[in-house]
Amino acid sequence: MTDAASTQASLEVMLKDEIVRMYQEVADNPRSEFHFFHGREAAELFGYAPEWLDRAPAGAVASFAGVGNPHERSNLQPGETVLDLGSGAGLDAIIAAWRVGITGRVVGVDLNPAMCLKAQAHVAATGAKMECHEGRMEDIPLPDASVDVVISNGVVNLSFRKRRVVEEMFRVLRPGGRISITDIVSAKQLSQSIVNDPKLWAS
Amino acid sequence: MFRLLEETGFSRVRSAVVPRFRFRKESTQNAAEAYGVKAVMMTALKPAPTDGSLAGAS
Repeated sequence: MTDAASTQASLEVMLKDEIVRMYQEVADNPRSEFHFFHGREAAELFGYAPEWLDRAPAGAVASFAGVGNPHERSNLQPGETVLDLGSGAGLDAIIAAWRVGITGRVVGVDLNPAMCLKAQAHVAATGAKMECHEGRMEDIPLPDASVDVVISNGVVNLSFRKRRVVEEMFRVLRPGGRISITDIVSAKQLSQSIVNDPKLWAS
Repeated sequence: MFRLLEETGFSRVRSAVVPRFRFRKESTQNAAEAYGVKAVMMTALKPAPTDGSLAGAS
């Protein structure tokens, strides 16, 4: 492994730890203040329907840490299979489960197995179902061509290997499938000090 | 991201700025603006092999 590859690999390990730590903190202490808006305040800001937020478990709403509303253009249909990449505490998975109905299927993938359990519990509390897999978005633990729609909210930007993430989304989608994601992009190359700082990158 | 999606083979790639996104802390928001950081919504299709009658992203 070259020095550059070795440095990136160790940064990725540190970044994974920081992402798990930060979003676990949001889930465990949703009343804390973070540098990003979260919880119901953020969801309302991004246009989530108040009836969704009233109906979803309070814990799922309070832990919401998205950057937009992927449901706005997802056009989910009953019976579809949806992958929520970086499913967190499960608010987007819950809404997806409501929209695809009992003939549909919602699959979550999250780095943090504790968040997977939390998301599944939140979805189950609404009477819907979700399966969640611990895994990385650079190696989605699903077969080729197995989902109709990929949704994601503020997650892809956290990866050092975005091309790989996009290739993985493409792989797991069925032909004719689609993505509806919200994420953070930057018009300028971030400085090396940001790239090399997992705390800043995870933000 | 837009380019990555197209290069990977997605079609009908669309993006729109999330208008109300901002960071809570002013210092973070200022730094983000300096880098042109914004939240975007992106939709795209994985082409089907046969036709252009795909439902979905608008």
